[in-house]
Amino acid sequence: MTGLILGLPSFMTPGRLWLIVVPLALLGLYIFLSKRKSRRGIRYTNTSILDIIVPAQSQWLRHVTVGLALVSLVCLAFAWARPLGTDQVPRERATVVLILDISNSMGATDLSPSRLAVAQQEVVNLVDSLPDGYNLALVEMAGSSTLVLPPTTDREIFQRAVQGVELEPSTDVAAALRVALSALELVPAGEDDQPVPAAVVMFSDASGTTGSTSPKQVAGQLAELGVPLYPIVFGTDYGYVDLTNADGQVERYQVPPDHQFFAELAQITGGQAYGADDAAQAQEACAKIQSTVGHVEVEKEVTAQWAGLAAVFAAVAAVGAVMLGARWR
Amino acid sequence: MAQVQYAPPAARPAAVQSVLAPPEGPTLPLSQLAPEAALRRLELAIVRRLEGFLQGDHLGLLPGPGSDLNDARIYVPGQDDVRRMDWAVTARTTVPHVRDTVADRELEVWALLDVTPSMNWGTGGVTKRDLGIAAIATIGFLSQQMGDRFGGLVMRPSGLRHIPARAGRTALYALLRSMLTEPIVPDETAGVMDLPQGIDQMARTQRRRGLRLVVSDFLTPGDIELDPQAEPVWERPLRRLAVRNQVICVETLDRHEVDFPDVGDILIRDPETDFERYVNTSDDDARLRMNAAAAAQRERIRVALRRAGCAHIQLRTDRDWVQDIARFVLAYRRVAGALHRPPRGHSQ
Repeated sequence: MTGLILGLPSFMTPGRLWLIVVPLALLGLYIFLSKRKSRRGIRYTNTSILDIIVPAQSQWLRHVTVGLALVSLVCLAFAWARPLGTDQVPRERATVVLILDISNSMGATDLSPSRLAVAQQEVVNLVDSLPDGYNLALVEMAGSSTLVLPPTTDREIFQRAVQGVELEPSTDVAAALRVALSALELVPAGEDDQPVPAAVVMFSDASGTTGSTSPKQVAGQLAELGVPLYPIVFGTDYGYVDLTNADGQVERYQVPPDHQFFAELAQITGGQAYGADDAAQAQEACAKIQSTVGHVEVEKEVTAQWAGLAAVFAAVAAVGAVMLGARWR
Repeated sequence: MAQVQYAPPAARPAAVQSVLAPPEGPTLPLSQLAPEAALRRLELAIVRRLEGFLQGDHLGLLPGPGSDLNDARIYVPGQDDVRRMDWAVTARTTVPHVRDTVADRELEVWALLDVTPSMNWGTGGVTKRDLGIAAIATIGFLSQQMGDRFGGLVMRPSGLRHIPARAGRTALYALLRSMLTEPIVPDETAGVMDLPQGIDQMARTQRRRGLRLVVSDFLTPGDIELDPQAEPVWERPLRRLAVRNQVICVETLDRHEVDFPDVGDILIRDPETDFERYVNTSDDDARLRMNAAAAAQRERIRVALRRAGCAHIQLRTDRDWVQDIARFVLAYRRVAGALHRPPRGHSQ
């Protein structure tokens, strides 16, 4: 039905669209005949009385019936031209690299129980909802990012790996993305030597505090491979962490999420960034990512939709014709 | 005189065509307008005094040579004929009297025929216009006496056409033929002439007293008044006409003007106005209301004609007009005197 809302669909045989001429010509004929003055009708002398006794009948039923019949014809013409629509088909094979931020800022408790706990929960949920054939890799993102788990289809190992992470100081987004790139290289090519479709999902809260290269540069490399990045940005503007420094003193750091930065990164790769102020929003973001990563859009013939639409219009037009044609009493 | 058998004319499909389009010609031949022979026994009662010089059957207004005796007056020597002396009065009064006579007058009949497009319509064998011509023919034969003259006025939207008044049945046939062959007025013809103006013009141009026929459907386009007390536009001109003349109004009517037809959902056009509308004629309620309104409209016409002091004949296209007119004439003999009593201050 997207074709109806967003405009005309593309057609497999656009040459057959000339059939639209028929309803258009009929519409023109109808308007011409309606406007014509010398229509046949009966002459009647006593119309001054008739005028006040029988008020002017509204013509909407007549017009609506004709209009629907013509719209039905247009839909049929479209159906004959075999329109193409898009369909969501579940992907069979794909690689998803999950980058989990384990910097200290993820320990902030503005999300209950903590940002990291929520992120872990969502990673597990997302992993559960993805098809079994997907290769999943896990990358820990901190001062030094490591590939915890190379691409694997084993969900149990994956879940254990997610549960086992611990907080570490500082963040280097660029390094984490590079590790993700290397993880993608580990995946064998598909059946016909085409690279298997991939995506990177990042669970993070703030832009990098360390690192020499720009994360945007690495994001550019991702874009070249056609791998979209979907960051889920955790935390509220009022999040903080209390850290003990080398002197044994506790210092409080403000750790607001950096939505702008992640949105730019996602845009470079053709992905989309989601904000998660609480667990519910995180869940929602995961569901959206699951539907985009888990499905592929396929062009499909939607002739039946248009034929059905034509049938509905024709049915309503037929009701109007019956009401016009029948004598009620 | 041999008894003339008269059968009503058979239904002609030609008239029904007028429902769809204006008729192309008369729907009735000249020979079927009126059974002349059958009408010889009937006589139209003329009660108003007339002017004229020929011997006649009608009352005159001015004194003059004639056979009808009027008042006696004193004899003027040298001026009056002694043969006119009224000896009985002279003996009674011991003064010489002569008896005056009233001049014998012939009747002059003028018929105004409305041929506006709404008259070109009829579902019952003839159109209303041809029914009106038939009525003129019937009344014309009824009033055919020695010397009586019959003239016609044809009211087209563009103006009145005069057919001069002449005496004799040949002249009457000529007049009827002229009316029948009068070109049909096309639908929605714009014009200056309407019924009130036509009546006024007839009253102005025909000054001789006599009998006046007004043949119309008495429908005014755009008139939605149903209250009998409200004056139709043509009432005042009719009253003016009736001051000096005896006026008979022939209202032509079609069955389906008072009984709205049930023909389904249909486009209805008016032959005179630009009215054009789809009407569901199968709606029983609307039809009942329409019939009630049409009845009230006819009642208003009847009351207005009575108020104006005119005799009223209602003829229908689906009925035998000769029978209707004969019935009218028989009843008219008794009521004509009272009906046509002139307004106070005017001679009879």
